Amino acid sequence: MPDAASEEALRNRRYWDRTSDEYQERHRDFINQPEPRWGVWQIPESELNVLGDVAGKDVLELGCGAAQWSILLAKQGARPVGLDNSERQLEHARRLMAEAGVDFRLVHASAEAVPLSDESFDVVFCDHGAFTFADPYKLVPESARLLRPGGLLAFSISSPFTVVCENPETELVEARLHRDYFGLHKFDDGDVVEYELPYGEWIRLFCANGFVVEALIEPRPGPDAKSTYWEEESEREWARRWPSESIWKARKPE
Amino acid sequence: MSHAEDTRRNVDVWTKANAEYTDRKARESWAKEEIDWGMFSGPESEIGALGEVADKDVVELGCGTAYFSAWLAKRGARVTGVDPTPAQLETARRMQHEFDLHFALIEAGAEDVPLPDASFDLAVSEYGASIWADPERWIPEAARLLRPGGGLVFLCNSTLSILCSPDEGKVEERLLRSHADLGRIEWPGEDEGVNYHLTHGEMIRVLTQNGFQIEALHERLAPESTTEHEYYDFIPAAWARRWPAEEIWVARRSV
Repeated sequence: MPDAASEEALRNRRYWDRTSDEYQERHRDFINQPEPRWGVWQIPESELNVLGDVAGKDVLELGCGAAQWSILLAKQGARPVGLDNSERQLEHARRLMAEAGVDFRLVHASAEAVPLSDESFDVVFCDHGAFTFADPYKLVPESARLLRPGGLLAFSISSPFTVVCENPETELVEARLHRDYFGLHKFDDGDVVEYELPYGEWIRLFCANGFVVEALIEPRPGPDAKSTYWEEESEREWARRWPSESIWKARKPE
Repeated sequence: MSHAEDTRRNVDVWTKANAEYTDRKARESWAKEEIDWGMFSGPESEIGALGEVADKDVVELGCGTAYFSAWLAKRGARVTGVDPTPAQLETARRMQHEFDLHFALIEAGAEDVPLPDASFDLAVSEYGASIWADPERWIPEAARLLRPGGGLVFLCNSTLSILCSPDEGKVEERLLRSHADLGRIEWPGEDEGVNYHLTHGEMIRVLTQNGFQIEALHERLAPESTTEHEYYDFIPAAWARRWPAEEIWVARRSV
């Protein structure tokens, strides 16, 4: 298997191999749901309608983790492929697939260099997956290559405002602006490398790779929402007032 | 409040701003050779939001004293300026005589422009309709006025700067206003008007629903040399050097 993974991708692979068991245990009840849900607040796809009808479609999940999403899409009649940079995450995926009684292809690779053919998918997507842990300057061109004409790219990430408003000491979001907005790209805490772009830079990158921007959905949690990712009440209140996540939809023209 | 009342109120705001600032500033603005965007003078030569304007039919929606239209006319565009405030258009007409640079000026709000369908190649707005008119009304009107393939380019205050704006006083280094409060904003201060500021997601929705394809969102960083604006002083220069004070949307009407 070709593996042109960057140094950052190899570090993130080690990070996820190391933390996967703990992650899947910690979030198990929150993210193993009977219907597809998005992000930190697990807002149902049936409310947001990001992917639309996936039945009969070839769907690639970039950074599938334990493939909770792809398993549910397979049950809806999609033909998913789950890709993840971490072998340990894919072991969890195999376990959950067996429990669910579904089977589809899993690929162990960095989303920055996907060992799959051009124009072989109708949907490329992820929910806080590769678009958080791999370089968007590689992922957007890769997604354009992998999609058929008319295909949809959709993914959720933290909003740029959460990065600006995160207190670096407590790692909690606050009303105060802590970080500069300009120059957002790569955040390396020594353990894991995460990526984030300003709103305008996402649009530039989509357009430069031939995508048409269809929507930016900024989901808002309900007043009693709980999350195993944002556990503090102050975090929920922040996310009620300001966008904690972005879901981008972009289409490759026919 | 009705749209007509909002418009009347905004016309009052601009009549006063004309007496205080824009009339005396008009000559200097008209004389400038560069096209600059916004409070911190982002140079078009660097941003490239407009593309080639020579020989194009251009409408400026909310032209004020029409200095932006004048810059485009000097570059060979056939310009029409539209604004609802008579005092602003009066200044624009005086400048047209002084500079011997003539183009059509129409007294109207950008939500209802008395011009035919598909008669322009480019619609622009620099703090005009882009913040002073309801996007649900002026963006469909811009789509109507543009020919297929025509461009829509407009500058607004950034979403982040509005979220950091108190009801009165300068922009702060913290979020004060909720995302859910964006949309129609009635500033409570004396002599303040009614503005419209959308979230990025909502602006994308309004543009795409009206048949526009989004080409760019230029979020502007103020240069190191930036000083506070002499009249629009609600954004500290130090703020604008760290966070985007202004943003320019570029969209194209589908062919």
